[in-house]
Amino acid sequence: MKSYEEILAELINLIRPMVPNANELSPDMELVDNLGLDSMKVMNLLQEIEDQFDVSIPLNVLPDVRTVGDLAHKIHQILERE
Amino acid sequence: MGAQATPTENTLPLRPADFSTLAEALDYAALGQTGCNFYNGRGELYEALPYARLREEALILARRLAGLNLERESRVALVAETNPDFMRFFFACQYAGLIPVPLPIPFSLGSHQAYVRQLRAMLKSCKPSIAMAPEGFASFLSEATEGLEIQYFGTPDDFDELPEVGTDLQPLRSHELAYLQYTSGSTRFPRGVMIKQAAVMDNLAGIAQHGVKLRPGDRAVSWLPFYHDMGLVGLMLTPVASQVSVDYLGTREFAMRPRQWLGLMSKNKATISFGPPFGYELCQRRLRPGEAEKFDLSAWRVAGVGAEMIRTEALDRFAEALAPAGFDKGAFLPCYGMAECSLAVTFAPLGQGLKTDVVDADRLAYDSLAVPSSSTVAKEVRKFVDCGHLLPGFELKIKDDHGNELPDRQIGTVYLRGPSVMSGYFEEPGITQEVLSEDGWLNTGDLGYLVGDRLYLTGREKDLIIVNGRNIWPQDLEYLAEQQPEVRPGDALAFGVPGPNGGDLTVLVVQCRETDDAKRKDLLNRIRSRVRSEVGVDCMIELVPLHTLPRTSSGKLSRSKARQNFIATHDFSMIGVGNSEEQTRPAADRRAI
Repeated sequence: MKSYEEILAELINLIRPMVPNANELSPDMELVDNLGLDSMKVMNLLQEIEDQFDVSIPLNVLPDVRTVGDLAHKIHQILERE
Repeated sequence: MGAQATPTENTLPLRPADFSTLAEALDYAALGQTGCNFYNGRGELYEALPYARLREEALILARRLAGLNLERESRVALVAETNPDFMRFFFACQYAGLIPVPLPIPFSLGSHQAYVRQLRAMLKSCKPSIAMAPEGFASFLSEATEGLEIQYFGTPDDFDELPEVGTDLQPLRSHELAYLQYTSGSTRFPRGVMIKQAAVMDNLAGIAQHGVKLRPGDRAVSWLPFYHDMGLVGLMLTPVASQVSVDYLGTREFAMRPRQWLGLMSKNKATISFGPPFGYELCQRRLRPGEAEKFDLSAWRVAGVGAEMIRTEALDRFAEALAPAGFDKGAFLPCYGMAECSLAVTFAPLGQGLKTDVVDADRLAYDSLAVPSSSTVAKEVRKFVDCGHLLPGFELKIKDDHGNELPDRQIGTVYLRGPSVMSGYFEEPGITQEVLSEDGWLNTGDLGYLVGDRLYLTGREKDLIIVNGRNIWPQDLEYLAEQQPEVRPGDALAFGVPGPNGGDLTVLVVQCRETDDAKRKDLLNRIRSRVRSEVGVDCMIELVPLHTLPRTSSGKLSRSKARQNFIATHDFSMIGVGNSEEQTRPAADRRAI
């Protein structure tokens, strides 16, 4: 079972290639507002997350995810439940 | 697991939607073997729902709903995830004499507040007696219904706890409504399109018999949302009413893994699927080198294209990339339609593919005339796709601004009349009157021209912005700008300008009193962030001095003039989305809009 910190680190590795101009990525950065991910990049990221962590991300978690940290928390929760 | 998809071949003679109501259509489909099938994002079948079982379950649920003693034609709001429950509820309403109202699900990150507001606006508009949301969306629905008078709302499981009553069900009849549809309209001012049974059945028959000419051996695949007209009417109701098996993939699953669309088409040798041009483009862009051969698209005979202005480049690339899979570009089927006409209005002839009319760009811009051109200079011509001819029952007129009917090759507004047209917008007589005349003519707001019996669309409803196949209403963007304390009502105009990839770039021009750079930047960021989270698009924002937004001769703010000015004064090769203040300021300072 992965810890939140491990998940966060892996998640940041997935996000980094999508935002080549961003400096250090931190958990409080907003995916859309700070990092500028458009809806298609978000969909790509979700697919990579599903493959990397072998989870299904339910549709209903998206409205409550704003930051990198929010997303890591959701993945952590989903993994815990499984 | 272990579920088996419903077969393509049926044991019943195919009846192409020749029924008088949706309930009657399902009654017939239930006598055969076909049905619908739901797949997860990895392309695995998770539930097969033969029409026979759909009917059985819908009848049970209808008896539970009957126990709530609702007035006939009461609305039932349904949060429309792509799943078997939605279909069960939709048809339970048909049997119980209630009107289903499909509502959207959210896809954007951080959209919680905006989604709840959108749902609430729709619920206030359709005034449902009951509402259903899938388990995962129940809390959003519950927030959205707070303080509204809704008799009963819950998840499918909650509804399944209700007692069945033994009354005789009275399904919706031909002169009654079939559903309300919120697919079009601004999110702040939603309009519920009222479609009667007779209207939707007329349209389904048109689609099945004349548009795609359904025949035994046909099978459909769809990833279109059930709350959109093409997803609901085209790919859910048409298959039921024609006893065709269909394979569904969730819309978000498609957006994440677009190649699953091709996987499903291959797996069950599907013959029919529809999508906006953007869907084909997404799929082609995600294709890996050498991968096309893995798919078998040789059975795909109808690749419907609709829902936005059709540009051929992306579709040509799709056809080329998938030729090794046996995809035939003659399968492309351009069509034109809208929720206000149930769905479909015109179809190109089957097998024709994308046929374009090449016209002189100057005559088009200055004289509103589509004059054929043989120029090979890209700048001198515009290309429009042949959207085909009307389905039987429709009448069409192209009119100028003064209401005069125009001859062939003159561009004007498309007006339509026929049995598939809506009865109006629910409880909005004023807005209905603006678009639907006493004698039944619908002003579509779309611009186009005729050549013989063929329709070509050159533009769309004046002010609409289309981003990635989604309709964005400028009013929604202007409202968000006006919510900022420094901005007053009438200080903002939004419009779309042609973007680099054929879609629109969204532009918001805002009058601003502030001169301090840091404060201007802060305002830009706040508006941009609201637009992203509420509307889900990136937006170019330009701040201009007071009293510089253009007006019409009658003194109203003019989006079209602002748009023309913007296009005339900006170099589009330089424009990206989400510009910084540094990039947008000089343009604003250079001139008054």
